[in-house]
Amino acid sequence: MTAPKTPPAAPASSVAAAGLPPSLAGKRRTPSLTPRLFAALTAARAAGTASRLLGKGGGTQVPGRIARRIDPNVLATLVGGSGVPVVAITGSNGKTTTARFTAELLRGQGVAVNHNSLGSNLIHGVTSLAVAGADLRGRVAADALVAEVDEGTLLTVLTDLAPRVLVVTELVRDQLDRFGELHALGDALAWVSKQMPADGVVVANADDPLVASFTEEREGRRVTFGLELPGSLDKITRAADTIRCPRCRADLAYRAVYLSHLGDWACTSCGFTRPKPDVAVTAVEVTGLAETRCTIRLPGGVVHNLVIPQAGIHIAYDAAAALAALVALDVPTDHAVEIFSTIRPAFGRVEQIALPDGRTVVLAFSKNPTSFNTTFRALASEGEPKHALMALSNTLVDGEDFAWLWDVDVEGVVPLVQDVVVSGTRADELATRLKYAGVDPACMTLIEDRPAALDAALANVPAGGRLVIVAGYTPTIELRDEMHRRGWTGRLWEQ
Amino acid sequence: MADEPTPVADLPVLRIVHLWPALLNVAGDGGNVSAVELRSKWRGIRTEIVGYEAGDSVPDLASFDIVFVQGGQDVEMRLVALDLPRVAGALREAADAGVVMLPVCAGLQLLGHRYIPNTGETLEGAHVLDLETRGGNQRFMQHAACEVTIDGETSTVVGFENHSGVTELGPGVVPFGRVVAGAGNNGVDGTEGAQRDNVFATYLHGPVLPKNPWLADVLVRRALSRKTGAPVVLASLDDAVEQHNHDVALAKAMRNKGQRTALEPAKLSRAEKG
Repeated sequence: MTAPKTPPAAPASSVAAAGLPPSLAGKRRTPSLTPRLFAALTAARAAGTASRLLGKGGGTQVPGRIARRIDPNVLATLVGGSGVPVVAITGSNGKTTTARFTAELLRGQGVAVNHNSLGSNLIHGVTSLAVAGADLRGRVAADALVAEVDEGTLLTVLTDLAPRVLVVTELVRDQLDRFGELHALGDALAWVSKQMPADGVVVANADDPLVASFTEEREGRRVTFGLELPGSLDKITRAADTIRCPRCRADLAYRAVYLSHLGDWACTSCGFTRPKPDVAVTAVEVTGLAETRCTIRLPGGVVHNLVIPQAGIHIAYDAAAALAALVALDVPTDHAVEIFSTIRPAFGRVEQIALPDGRTVVLAFSKNPTSFNTTFRALASEGEPKHALMALSNTLVDGEDFAWLWDVDVEGVVPLVQDVVVSGTRADELATRLKYAGVDPACMTLIEDRPAALDAALANVPAGGRLVIVAGYTPTIELRDEMHRRGWTGRLWEQ
Repeated sequence: MADEPTPVADLPVLRIVHLWPALLNVAGDGGNVSAVELRSKWRGIRTEIVGYEAGDSVPDLASFDIVFVQGGQDVEMRLVALDLPRVAGALREAADAGVVMLPVCAGLQLLGHRYIPNTGETLEGAHVLDLETRGGNQRFMQHAACEVTIDGETSTVVGFENHSGVTELGPGVVPFGRVVAGAGNNGVDGTEGAQRDNVFATYLHGPVLPKNPWLADVLVRRALSRKTGAPVVLASLDDAVEQHNHDVALAKAMRNKGQRTALEPAKLSRAEKG
């Protein structure tokens, strides 16, 4: 029975494991082991091992599903009842990367962390995380748990998790076919954050007006993060969401726009103004497809100059969010520079995969207008995509309604595209969007089957060239699995 | 020669106005404007597109050929309702003058008499369409299809519905379509959307025009015919991509027939917590 593989921590030599930070020490409670809990843990373990051995996606959903079926209270018992500090990370974009950064920063301080590194963030995935980190008596060995939680699932799992820190990255329109409306989601998260215990801390993106608003209304400690740059990096487009005051609905005035509707905003009508970020990105530069440099200022005068091997302005936000989570936990960030320098992209987040023949595949998972635009912007800095494979599928996690594709600035990248293969179960929808964005149908091939699409797309790429894959969640995983089968990359859960 | 396309040189510039594009823009419905613009352009028909935002000076809508009013979320819909009294008269005049309009979802609700929500104040509509909408107690979120007959031609129009409002039509309008799959106006009477003169109102997002090229062309043709005072025949286009999109969407709607939602909605309130 092996423990779940964790991503490689920072080099041991650079990290002094000087004992657990005092703020994370505390009394752990061992749950009373009921036959039901024992049965749930045993069955979940067996299922996780079987699923892993069968190569079925790392077994991220199955153990949690089985455990909950046997003992619906398993998550509350293992986590909420254990006294282990929990950092819950939610929001529309940036959950996986922020969770990864947070977990690595904690490990760098000698904290043993359990973390759902594969982005399995619905209720079964979060339960799997808890189950995998517990022994068969229900004792959680970890010093802390970092859980990314789907924003729609948060309400259900919050009481079970009883997080000490809740990080809210940003809220953009995403999966309206599941959430109905963005404001409903905002209201739900507002309620959730107010249910947190008084000694809990909310970490909030100051640059997102909606997040800034509801986290300010909560009593208790809040740590904010954001960008503090002299000028704009983006402009308000039709992908932007909260551009009116969440309190009085008047138009917001932006001193600077950084990413979609994130920026330095103020309401000219009621005076609601962006809170000054406690953790502030004071400089950021994206250099190519594999590096972001940024300077981040923490409370108390600590400044980190980071070089992160991942590309995009959003990476600076995610780094600031993770550092803010450590501030919220009162854990120092001594080794931040070394740690960030080693954290490569989470699977599919502008991940570069070298093929044996010298060509490269860039895998860029995208799922809503903001993440698409962010991805396209990072790609365009290198003149990409020239040869593209784009894929969308309708599933529970990917959604059913792809109308938001029309809010993506596809028109902006079309001049770069020489050929594109369109794939996934909603290839039809993508093809129409691409045609109306200006892609000549003669340069477009529609192949629903993912492996066949990969072959056709690679046939377009010359020696030494690059194929850019921009895909939704499920086709990203399928295409990555296919590349693993071909021996081009490790398995998802072996990262 | 009724079946020959009208020579392009004889065609005037299509003037299009997009009302409240910043407020009513939630479900990618801007794609409807792109569809009319591009399908015109591919035929050599020029277009001019202007936007009207809340507080702008109200244009003479009857001087335009096509008016778009799209979907929006509750908060934005309320903001538009505040501005609507300034525009309502011009909208009614334009509709009476036969201007082509495509109100979608919130646009449909706002062009009716009123929207009566479950909580909060009633929103006064523009009284362009003889219909009224009340807040419902469930949300329809799914692929949907309806059968539409315009100018003696019947076609299936597909899209995605996402609304909780329940709309009842009055005698001054006819349904835009008959529900084939989905909830339509209210989930009960089998009507989808509303029509009077050249106003074609629907709950279907998608956006609806790119994947229903037949409907997009109906709007362009009706607008040009009205403008030129003569029947117009549009040159045919290669719609293989759009037609495939239409057919896949129709298959999804048919598979979901009889349901209320395509996905299990996220549980976002305490009452729903399960």
